Amino acid sequence: MAEIATFSNATQVLEPFKGVKKVTIEEYFSSGHRTCQGCESALVMKLMVKAAGPRTIVLGSTGCMYVANTTYYSTPWVVPWMHTQLGSSGSAALGTAAGLKALMKKGKMKAEPINVIAFCGDGGGADMGLGAISATLTHKEYNSLILLYDNESYANTDIQLSGSTPYGAHTTFSPPGKARRIMHTRWKKNTAGMLAAGHPECRYVATVCASYAVEMMNKVRKALSIGGPTFIHSLDPCPKGWDYDPMLSHELGELAIECGIFPLYEVEEGVVKYYGKTKAIVDGRPRKPVREYLLKQGRFAHFIEEDLEYFQGKVDEMWTKWELPGVACFKKDGARAVAG
Amino acid sequence: MAHLICEVVYRGIFQKNLASRITRGIVLSARKAGKWGIAFGRYGDSPQRNGIPAKDFAIVADTQEELEQHMARYEPKELHVTICVDDTLCKGVESWAWYGLQPINRLLLPNGHLLVSSTQSAEELLKDAHKKDAPYSLWILPGKASLAGLWVYKEDHTEVRVLGALAKIAPKILSIEAVAEAIREAEWGSDLKVESARKAYERIQGRPVKITDGNPETPYSFQMPKWWEMREGVTIPSLPIGKPIEGGEGYRPERSAVFKKFSTRTMRPVIDFDTCVKCTLCWLQCPDSCFDVTPEGLYDANMEACCGCGICEAVCPVENCITMVNEAAFDDNASQWEMWRKDKGAYKAWLGAKITDKVHVGRSHGFRYRGQYEEELKAGELELGGAALASGIPGENADQKGLKPNVHEDKSSSIVTGVAEAPGG
Repeated sequence: MAEIATFSNATQVLEPFKGVKKVTIEEYFSSGHRTCQGCESALVMKLMVKAAGPRTIVLGSTGCMYVANTTYYSTPWVVPWMHTQLGSSGSAALGTAAGLKALMKKGKMKAEPINVIAFCGDGGGADMGLGAISATLTHKEYNSLILLYDNESYANTDIQLSGSTPYGAHTTFSPPGKARRIMHTRWKKNTAGMLAAGHPECRYVATVCASYAVEMMNKVRKALSIGGPTFIHSLDPCPKGWDYDPMLSHELGELAIECGIFPLYEVEEGVVKYYGKTKAIVDGRPRKPVREYLLKQGRFAHFIEEDLEYFQGKVDEMWTKWELPGVACFKKDGARAVAG
Repeated sequence: MAHLICEVVYRGIFQKNLASRITRGIVLSARKAGKWGIAFGRYGDSPQRNGIPAKDFAIVADTQEELEQHMARYEPKELHVTICVDDTLCKGVESWAWYGLQPINRLLLPNGHLLVSSTQSAEELLKDAHKKDAPYSLWILPGKASLAGLWVYKEDHTEVRVLGALAKIAPKILSIEAVAEAIREAEWGSDLKVESARKAYERIQGRPVKITDGNPETPYSFQMPKWWEMREGVTIPSLPIGKPIEGGEGYRPERSAVFKKFSTRTMRPVIDFDTCVKCTLCWLQCPDSCFDVTPEGLYDANMEACCGCGICEAVCPVENCITMVNEAAFDDNASQWEMWRKDKGAYKAWLGAKITDKVHVGRSHGFRYRGQYEEELKAGELELGGAALASGIPGENADQKGLKPNVHEDKSSSIVTGVAEAPGG
């Protein structure tokens, strides 16, 4: 494990895993967490620290991955883990990185690069903690990774809708009724694109899905190696809130990508790079129709044809109208209108 | 003065709406019989997780005063009736870390009643349910466990069949007429459901369980840590890193000693080690890190950590290498790999018997595609909770496995609206 740069900004150099057989055998997030059967977010935790390695500190804001994992006086974590408040994953990441740096500078701790990862759910990250995450992403002298695990609702408190909940989904706050079928009419927030566009000095933003485990881990390794504050947005199928057979978690993750609903890309030093199935879509491979994804989930069981069409239309827009397909929602025509 | 305290032990989320209908139905029936009642969930079970055992309670009393005496508690300490809506819960219930494995009949009063929805015989169920130091009665409501999700309810009449059976168990508190009247008036009731309740009432039989009957194992339990044993601040040691299995080869992660999660399981993976191609996917994709890496590079699902989600089967690229089998078909948590390496021929025979077990092969794990529950109910007898669709699992490898998804190709003209139910409670 070599070190790069000077001591003050040194990071661990984590080379990408070259294939599934080269993945670390050790687990740093183990069994004994009280998550749902088929919980994709628990898988994200496992893969995240598997990628990061043993010299890692994890901070977790309130949400399923805090409440379910570390129930009373028990833990599945092998690496040090600490709880932080719902909206404060950004502050916790920055504070921990700064604290480690100060302790090392003062000689109170052996000087070595230690990974700092703070995770948050979509409620804690895309809604409440957005300000703190944004602030952290401007502090380029502190190395940290903020990982947003997005299960598209406040899943821990039994599925209230968040800014990340997709259009029309059945949640505790949006039960379809006889008089009105669609109770959630807002389109999902584009968190990764927004953070990449808004923080010119943040060196790395990526979207991932644990269905593609090796690629996901390699994005984590790059985010930790590149230096400075970084951000990863992970889409996590949630058997509880999305209402599906837990064995389909992996498949639904794949479908979200193949239907073009959740694009996979990384923004490294300001350069956008699509990868995996998303790259194939950008290169012209047809997207699967969104109905294949939506109709496997109980939260969309009330959809009728016009809802499916609306959803499909909005997804089509991401790919045909956006200046940067799937990444930034500045419209091509709009840009021209301003210019001309 | 008389009162009745019931609990419903169920699978978190999968049966949340079912349990709330049952306890609510008990209270509504009691009102029809001129009694007082209350239904509530165990506060500590929230937030519920898919599959993790949870409890709801219903208390019925002759007078308001008597009801109030029994209300002011977190969880009743003694019960007249335990209603278990998934028979694999008879193996024990571990809801949280430090709870240990709690026998299904733990809170029953002497001569109380255990009502189980099951297709198994009493003898089979008593292999699972732990011995109790007092006699009680076992009532079996024939039927599969009704598992659905948070938003789409499976209308298989389980809730009313339980209510009908309960009228037989406690006729002085809940007459079948009161139950019928309550069902008719409930927002989810119908005349057909009243008929189902009456049938269950007429058919159900109790069987005495002696103190010598039952699973002789002592379920694991813990001493809670004392305050003086706790560290300063709310800190606990993290888990140690795992170790090689033998001779420096393989890997077994260290696992939490105080929460094992296996009582969450309704199905378990059965692995054919001879056909395994060591692709690593089951191991890598398991959210519960339940796979040990064996010295020869195979993957052995640890049966104390596996919660039975089935992702390993869904991602396995080899036909019939990993098969999920109903948990009721097993009596222990032994390592399959140990069994395999001791005697490969015997293991092959065991494996074959498990994956073709006609009695226990029924598998249902919630919503797979729209219209599935309706098909299941059409395909099977309502009496038994419908047929579980055993084929057509639309996993990513369904094609390779020859398990083509059978019906979920959507026909836009036949889209049914308003399938979803409002959540219970």
